[in-house]
Amino acid sequence: MPFDTQTIISIASYGGAGACMGLGAIGAALGVGYTGGLANEALSQKPEVSGTIVKNMLIGQAIAESAAIFALVIAVLLIYLSPPVTNLLTASALGAAGLCMGFGAIGSGVGSGFPAGEVCLAIVRQPAITGRLTTNMLIGSAVCQTPAIFAMVVALMLMFLDVNNLSVNPTWAALLGAGLSTGLAAIGSGLGGGLAGGASVSGIARQPETFGKVTTIMLVGQAVSQTPAIFGLLVSFILMFKAFPETTSIAAPMALLGAGISMGFGGIGPGIGNGFTAQSAVKWVARNEEASGILTRVMLVGQAVSQSTAIYAMVVSLVLIFVI
Amino acid sequence: MEDITHIPQLTLQLFGFDLVFNTYTILMTWIVMAALIIFAFLATRKIAFVPNLFQVVGEMIVSTFYGLTRDALDDELAKKYFPIICSLFMFLVLSNWLGTFPKLEEPTKDLNTPLGLGLMGFFIAHYAGIKAKGFKKYAKEYCEPMFFMAPLNIIGELSKVVSISFRLYGNMVGGAIIILVVSHLIYSLILPPFLMCFFNLFIGTIQAFVFTMLTLVYISVQVK
Repeated sequence: MPFDTQTIISIASYGGAGACMGLGAIGAALGVGYTGGLANEALSQKPEVSGTIVKNMLIGQAIAESAAIFALVIAVLLIYLSPPVTNLLTASALGAAGLCMGFGAIGSGVGSGFPAGEVCLAIVRQPAITGRLTTNMLIGSAVCQTPAIFAMVVALMLMFLDVNNLSVNPTWAALLGAGLSTGLAAIGSGLGGGLAGGASVSGIARQPETFGKVTTIMLVGQAVSQTPAIFGLLVSFILMFKAFPETTSIAAPMALLGAGISMGFGGIGPGIGNGFTAQSAVKWVARNEEASGILTRVMLVGQAVSQSTAIYAMVVSLVLIFVI
Repeated sequence: MEDITHIPQLTLQLFGFDLVFNTYTILMTWIVMAALIIFAFLATRKIAFVPNLFQVVGEMIVSTFYGLTRDALDDELAKKYFPIICSLFMFLVLSNWLGTFPKLEEPTKDLNTPLGLGLMGFFIAHYAGIKAKGFKKYAKEYCEPMFFMAPLNIIGELSKVVSISFRLYGNMVGGAIIILVVSHLIYSLILPPFLMCFFNLFIGTIQAFVFTMLTLVYISVQVK
């Protein structure tokens, strides 16, 4: 069987589509299942509000599922979009797009399951403020999707990148690294944002009058949890849009691939860690409203320290790109 | 994909330097500013005990953000920094909503706008920090916990600018790219307008709020 360019591109796009949907299904399924489980617990405690609980469960599950739907869109595009170019770089770009969206959907899928599940329990506690709880859950879950949206943006950019005038040897690794950087870094950020969102919903159920303050600190906490994914996005943009000179050595492509892997894996931990910090801060603002100012500041300082590991990863990535 | 990443530019030669203007972004920014000025005029023209529509909206925004600023800073500083926080939010929210109208684009889709606003917030926060604590104490904080950590602390501060501006930019460009791809795949009857409402109105409002709150909290961390 001859391995011409067209065959290799087909292998990459089908393999990428498979990896995209396969990996992308993990997170959303976990999140949706978690929501369903908490909905059952809520129903057993208060069967008379079952209609409201089931409605909120379905809304929350629909949002948690959207990460998997992003992955589905990218997978379908990879299968049916036959690229006209006959350049080996296209193969690398398509494979990277699939991996990026696949990994990127994991965190957001699991993460948006947390607020969706907590809202079911919260309705049992405070059936009178269902509207406020649903609003908070919608905001929290929607912000959780941001890392998945970043992954989708990078995947689409990789698929439609004009690769005709680029040098083949280091750029194939740069594109692969770009996909891995955003995709892996999005895992932690999605999960961390979900922790903060879940704490916010249950906190509002405890003290409904803290709605404004809790929502504000939840948004700030989630936004800072997403910083590793943003660093991943930055490294991806640099890897995609910087022109690399043609070379025959194997060291240059490995450095670029390493840059992507460093930022990708380096972003997972800080994202989840920031999520823990935000979760506790949100929880305690709901219990002690007067301390919201100091809690916000301490949360931010704690997250900044936890973030420093992501910054080390970014520094290593930038050194690998620009120095080596 | 090209029409998203392409930004119309105008280059002027001045004393041997190239002055580059992103014409469309500047035009859209002016539209936002004009809309804000008209709104402010309508809201404050006839201030009455029984307020008109614009006054109600204006009072609502002002009182909400004054409360938020007072929670983060104390009363004295809140009076000083509240105007910039409130106008930052109003500017960003209108900028993000602008793309909903045909033929108009969000100025925040050009990285220069969020980056400029992020840098502005960065300088304001550090100015406030130096002014509140004095330069010596301010500089000493960079040498925590050990003096050789100073370069990493500085990179950490600078990365705040990167994260705050790329967060807004990534969300707005992400929405635009997803809408573009979906409108190519299907006939734009229901789904693309719905997506446009979701990304511009809902996500745009949330991201404008997040940007404003982060700027405020950065100031508050520096001051305290």
